[in-house]
Amino acid sequence: MTSLALILRREGGGGFFVLYSTRSKLIAGFLGVSLLVAAVSLFIGVRILDQHVFGEARNRVRQDLNAVSEMYLTRVRHIKTSLSITTLGFAFISSLREKNAAELVLRLERMAKLADLDFAGIVLEDGGTLCRIGPNSFPAAGASLENPIARPVLDSRIPVSGTLVLDSDFLIAENPYLAERARIPFTVGDDPALRSGKEEKSGMVVAAAVPVFDGNLLIGVLYGGMLLNRSETLVDTVRGTVFQGETYKGRSVGTATIFLGDARISTNVMTADGQRALGTRVSPEVREHVLGKGKLWTDRAFVFSDWYITAYRPIEDISGQRVGMLYVGVLEDKYEDIRRETLSVYILITVAGMLLAVGLGYLVANRISAPIRRLINASQQVGEGSLTPELGPPEKGEIGVLQKTFREMVAAVGRQRATSEAHIIHSQKQASVGRLAAGVAHEINNPLTGVLTYTHMLLRRTDLAPEIRSDLQTIVEATDRVRKIVKGLLDFSRQTKLDPEPTDINRLVTSSIALVEYQALVKGVAIKFNPGESLPELIVDRSQIQSVLINIIINALDATDPGGAIRVFTAAGLSSRDVGRKGVEITVADTGCGIPSENLDKLFEPFFTTKAIGQGTGLGLAVSLGIVQRHGGRIRVQSEIGKGSRFFIWLPAGGKAEHESAGG
Amino acid sequence: MKVLVVDDEPIVLKSCRMVLAAEGFEVMTAGSVAEALAAIEVHAPGLLLVDVKMPMLDGMYLMRQVREKRPGTPIIVMSGYSTRETIREALELGAATFIAKPFTPDELADTVRSVLKSREKEEKGYEDEKGSGH
Repeated sequence: MTSLALILRREGGGGFFVLYSTRSKLIAGFLGVSLLVAAVSLFIGVRILDQHVFGEARNRVRQDLNAVSEMYLTRVRHIKTSLSITTLGFAFISSLREKNAAELVLRLERMAKLADLDFAGIVLEDGGTLCRIGPNSFPAAGASLENPIARPVLDSRIPVSGTLVLDSDFLIAENPYLAERARIPFTVGDDPALRSGKEEKSGMVVAAAVPVFDGNLLIGVLYGGMLLNRSETLVDTVRGTVFQGETYKGRSVGTATIFLGDARISTNVMTADGQRALGTRVSPEVREHVLGKGKLWTDRAFVFSDWYITAYRPIEDISGQRVGMLYVGVLEDKYEDIRRETLSVYILITVAGMLLAVGLGYLVANRISAPIRRLINASQQVGEGSLTPELGPPEKGEIGVLQKTFREMVAAVGRQRATSEAHIIHSQKQASVGRLAAGVAHEINNPLTGVLTYTHMLLRRTDLAPEIRSDLQTIVEATDRVRKIVKGLLDFSRQTKLDPEPTDINRLVTSSIALVEYQALVKGVAIKFNPGESLPELIVDRSQIQSVLINIIINALDATDPGGAIRVFTAAGLSSRDVGRKGVEITVADTGCGIPSENLDKLFEPFFTTKAIGQGTGLGLAVSLGIVQRHGGRIRVQSEIGKGSRFFIWLPAGGKAEHESAGG
Repeated sequence: MKVLVVDDEPIVLKSCRMVLAAEGFEVMTAGSVAEALAAIEVHAPGLLLVDVKMPMLDGMYLMRQVREKRPGTPIIVMSGYSTRETIREALELGAATFIAKPFTPDELADTVRSVLKSREKEEKGYEDEKGSGH
């Protein structure tokens, strides 16, 4: 409230600006809160989304990679098993014992067809190739190259299986068509540091070699395998089984790749023109992490043309060298779209919330500002002099309290204005009457001296006729009246200084009553005085206060019929205006005719009198009030028609208060 | 006994002359302080009746002059507009008493007589003192 009042004072007439600023502050507050809530929920939401959706996706990809690895190993075992079963056949062993190459090739071809092998052959214990499937079935003795698959078996006499990288010479010797299939040109990022050449000529194979025994005698080694270069079976099986052929926006969700080194040699990752992305390379980070350090990689990665959630693992050959990588990736778009959708829903909710906040702020601000605007208008009306400003319907809460306080304040201002106006009029009147009275008195007294002197001197003569004497007597009486009026005027106008001295108020009242007792006795009115006890000592001008008392008692006497009574009593009293100020209240109560309420206000005005012409000057109470006010006291009247009146004269203890001396 | 009445109002002078002459005094009047000072030089009055407020030089000035030149001359001060302060000032300047205008012949006569009586008493006491000195 205080700040509002300050704003109002500073802005003056520009009340609307203030209200708009209050409104925008409120709206800004609402907006701020909703923004904060939105930001926090967005942050937390995105975190949860990332953790759950992407975490889930990453887990899935890891599991998929495990499944693919398992399929890869199964393929290896499958080759080994096929070879092993073949070596156990009696006919096969006897054919080999007899070195019946033609018969053996037939058997090998049947086996290769069943086990889906790209190459197969038999190596004798001396390392030379006896026969193989394909166009070059019967090599000349001594012309065959060292067989990297069969060699470990010849040395160790136990079966061997796994991944191998076969160089192009071996492949040409084995089958020129295979060598041709293995050739894959590098398309992207030819890195000379890795390997020389513009194309991959080696072939990566999954293969096995099994010893063939005749009794305890090793008579040869059966080998066979599958070339992975350009092979579609493994990766497409993965797509069909692990990912179940799922597509998203026309693209496969799941992709799988076999790397030879860092180049894709078997993949279902597609290029833009729908070709398999053979010969393309993995990013240096992945290469370093997986090939270099032999670790698992699970993260999002940009694969060829799209973002994927990926997993890579190294492939080791039968001698434990890291020769390639196995990769599985899930299209990130699917998850990214879920994320994007959720985000847009979030943002939509946030925007809606903010709009709601602005609307709500506007409404609330209006609800608050409308009564305040009315109050501002009302205060402007008051400023323009109106004491009945429009405040509008009563509100609840603080605004209601403000309205009530405002109304009370305006009422107080009105009362104060009325009082001060009355006070100003009164004192102006008194001052002008005083100046007039002083002038008149001074001018009249000199001629009056003449009138009095001459009439009295005439009355001294003894030779006057009785009617002349009577007329002169009338002049004397009339002049006496004039004299009294002028004296009253003078008393009223005189702003004589007080001559205060410590006074026992009860004694002063007693002596005043004594001066009028005779008149009361003559009229048949009893005057009783009940002095109060332990009154504070007053410091007053005794003669002036006495004249006040006499004036009021004589007024009471005039108002009271014979047989009536006047009671005077004194009591210690507190001021009703200055809280806590001690003083004495003198009460003069009569059983007279009472004063009509319309006259109560005028009672203390100069020249106001209800007495018959010639009975009173109309100055007595005006003079009395002046004297009491100069003492810092007050006079109150209560009256009831037919029952009587009470005059209360309150005088402060210890003399006049400092702050009242200026008003004197 | 010579009485000098000083007032700027002729009607007051006439009234006072009438009353005091009837009482058997030899009455002289002055319309201003200057006239009064001249009359005092010539006639040496035994009593002064002086108005306080007069144009030009006022009664207070006259009283100071009299106190200087003729101390012991009783002065009665009169005024049509008396405040407590003027009365006090007048008494401090040596006025015997104060009488408020308007007054009746009896009031004036009584005031003058009582002033002269108390003055007589003082002088008699003075004479007695002088007498006992013999």
